[in-house]
Amino acid sequence: MAFSLTVNGHRHTVDVDPDTPLLWVVRDEIGLKGTKFGCGAGLCGACTVHVNGQPARSCSTPIELVDGADITTIEGLETEGRLHPLQQAWIDEGVPQCGYCQSGQIMTAAHLLANNASPSRDEIVTAMTGNLCRCGTYARIVAAVEAVAGGVGQYEPAPEDA
Amino acid sequence: MTMNRRDFLKVSTGASGSLILAVSIPGCASIQTGFEPETGEWKPDVWLELSRDDDIVFTLARVEMGQGAYTGLTTLIAEELDVDPARISVKFAPVAPEYRNPLFGLQLTGGSTSLATSWKPLREAGASARQMLVMAAARVWEVNASDCTTEDGRVVHPNGIDSLRYGQLVELADKEVIRGDVALKPKSEWKYIGRQAGKLDAHAKVTGKAVYGMDVDLPDMVYAVMTRSPRYGGVARGFNRSEVIGLPGVQDAFITERGVAVVANSYWQARKAQQALQVDWDMTDALDTSTEQVFEGYRRAASDDSGVKERTEGSVSKAAEQAEKLVEAEYEQPYLAHATMEPMNATAWYHDGKLEVWAPTQAPDLGRIAAARHSDLSPGDVNIHTTFLGGGFGRRLTQDYIEEVSAVAYQLKVPVKLIWSREEDTRHGFLRPAMLHRMKGSLADGQLTGWQHQIVGPQVLDWYVRNAAPAQYPWAPKFLYDTLGKVGLMAEGIATPKDISAIEGAVGYPYQVPNISVRHTHTDPGVPITWWRSVGYSHNGFAVETFMDELAYESGEDPMQFRRKMLDSEPRHREVLDRAARLAGWGEPAPEGRARGIALFKSFGTYVAQVVEAGVENGEIKVHKVTCSVDCGQVVNPRIVEDQIAGGILFGLTAALYGEINFDQGEIRQSNFHDYRLLQLHQAPEVVVDIVDSNAEPTGVGEPGVPPVIPALGNALFALTGKRQRRLPLTA
Repeated sequence: MAFSLTVNGHRHTVDVDPDTPLLWVVRDEIGLKGTKFGCGAGLCGACTVHVNGQPARSCSTPIELVDGADITTIEGLETEGRLHPLQQAWIDEGVPQCGYCQSGQIMTAAHLLANNASPSRDEIVTAMTGNLCRCGTYARIVAAVEAVAGGVGQYEPAPEDA
Repeated sequence: MTMNRRDFLKVSTGASGSLILAVSIPGCASIQTGFEPETGEWKPDVWLELSRDDDIVFTLARVEMGQGAYTGLTTLIAEELDVDPARISVKFAPVAPEYRNPLFGLQLTGGSTSLATSWKPLREAGASARQMLVMAAARVWEVNASDCTTEDGRVVHPNGIDSLRYGQLVELADKEVIRGDVALKPKSEWKYIGRQAGKLDAHAKVTGKAVYGMDVDLPDMVYAVMTRSPRYGGVARGFNRSEVIGLPGVQDAFITERGVAVVANSYWQARKAQQALQVDWDMTDALDTSTEQVFEGYRRAASDDSGVKERTEGSVSKAAEQAEKLVEAEYEQPYLAHATMEPMNATAWYHDGKLEVWAPTQAPDLGRIAAARHSDLSPGDVNIHTTFLGGGFGRRLTQDYIEEVSAVAYQLKVPVKLIWSREEDTRHGFLRPAMLHRMKGSLADGQLTGWQHQIVGPQVLDWYVRNAAPAQYPWAPKFLYDTLGKVGLMAEGIATPKDISAIEGAVGYPYQVPNISVRHTHTDPGVPITWWRSVGYSHNGFAVETFMDELAYESGEDPMQFRRKMLDSEPRHREVLDRAARLAGWGEPAPEGRARGIALFKSFGTYVAQVVEAGVENGEIKVHKVTCSVDCGQVVNPRIVEDQIAGGILFGLTAALYGEINFDQGEIRQSNFHDYRLLQLHQAPEVVVDIVDSNAEPTGVGEPGVPPVIPALGNALFALTGKRQRRLPLTA
């Protein structure tokens, strides 16, 4: 079946089974590999993308439920070749170890800051705790989010229910 | 090439001792070095490529799985080449004898050895290349080479004004010959080693551009999933092929040595078709044990066979006779999965008589053996491309997933990617062995006079040798593979290094006790096992440091002082113990509702002491703070050391709080992160990492953070509740 999506501002039409998870559409049909497969059950957050500005576990989101939606992936966070402040903070803090979960971590953090420019430590912890990291980078994740919190974000999320 | 018997028997033992039959491979150079006029590239050695355009490429012979080799090893060569590490491009090494880990004789990343084994050779490689560039410049200028200096990729004239870029010198430098040893920079001149610096792979990893195995993409690639026997060792006899083959997108389905492969146009179609699969399994040789039976078997074995003597000092039986108090304890540790965030996967393409494999693997030369195993190909026909690894922790030392994809690709002759689901990753992996420990301690006059430690369980090498032995003799005919493995095991400790995976960390018991006995009762219940971040140290650390705490309590002494007084001849142990205790406020009262526990453990050459502050809240264990002092010799990248130690602590806490793989009649009960839990951000304690300033040779940091945190937490809970924790995972 054909479905259409706007991914990082570009329109795509894909022909896949209606129950195909958004994750595999983004990765294998559209070719954006930055969004990762971790558990296939919405438990780890490695596959987090934004659907109409809201964070979603793309591994558990059938394509038929997001037909026509605006999707942002890790590749869409940069604007005009400039890194999102969170990506820069992630580099400055040296967050990644293996790095596999970090796309999902950053997407979750980007949604948090888009809606709450100055989150408290508790708010950061609550927002981020659903994203698992096996290497144990949690402390640096909090530090990187705090480094950006209160600053001016470059990233404007797609409007809700666009 | 030919190998004589002496070469075959020549051995070297790993510093960590984790592995393996190592032989030297004489005259097997496979990497061409020198200047290539057509490309304008100069390869002074197997590590570096410098171009006329000043591009510098470093070949990384260790894989990057989060442990920081990508940054750390590049820093070593950059320091001596005198170039900012950030200007160097890094590529992953192909399989070649030059890239073997000298400790193992295999091209293998593990045992926290990457930095230690690269410390000298990579600095020497960088220094030699730099020296040749300097000599070439001196010849151009007609000055003494010793009067020239270098500065970030340029050779500077003695007048301090003129300079030549390395790129301008590469062709000339190739003709230079260094006589004698090349001098390495003194520590006082280091610009990059020991300094806080960025991670060279961070940009790729925060933009989604880093290519993991999962991200490999080839034209017209198809996707495979493998249905394995629910019980290890079961063999597929048949399946409902006609039904499966007609499902949407399915291209093929067939039986392989490892199970039934379903191949489709997309991953999702393969996964869906798998649901319709009905396999007839021959379970004649399948595992049918349960966890309870494993431990019953261990107890029986422990009582029937006191085991092989691994360390004996004095007489523990005499100490026991003369003891005022005899203390005994038994500890149990379960099987553990690795749960790398990136599930097992690999991509392969068989074309033109060659098999190409792209894989996140910790041991590409073993991967080559695994890839060739079920085909007419020899290892030389297999080319392994290593990617970034989404975690390793020892799991990717075992090459089963490469074996699988290769068998499928060989049959299909089109590019194929095989992806494990998380459930398959949890249920069909190779595990950290479950272990049993029996401890006896003799106390007299307030002193520990006897230490008895009986370790009960399997050895990892028994499972690993299948691919490791042939990987060392890749020219051996395949019908000899099994023989090579058996010879390796039979010769263990004679022609091949001893497998110390079960006893490491126990034989190195550091406390001065006059009577010591460490024994290993070797028993293997048939559950597939492999290395797991810190391996034997992970279970021996818990046994040794929990029992030390029990003995301190029984002798009425402070657990820190009890340890300290037996460390007179171990200054590095004592220093980290003192520092961790001081930093954590040991001896001062803990905040209301909390208690502290301490543990000290050396692994992989690195000394680590930790103090855990924990409480129990709402019936759950709450870890508040971990204070850690570490002595790993000379530090190359302080942030990576801190990250690895802190990461190891969280890895250990995950095992201590949740880690448990259980078998029910041969089937694993756990499946995904809901029942094989990982520590989450809100549960992560504050971690303080204190690094001892040292000039000693650098040692590994990837694993040593893990072992002490598990007993330190258990000891804290005992101090809090009075209930001793003798089984993992811990309970509130």
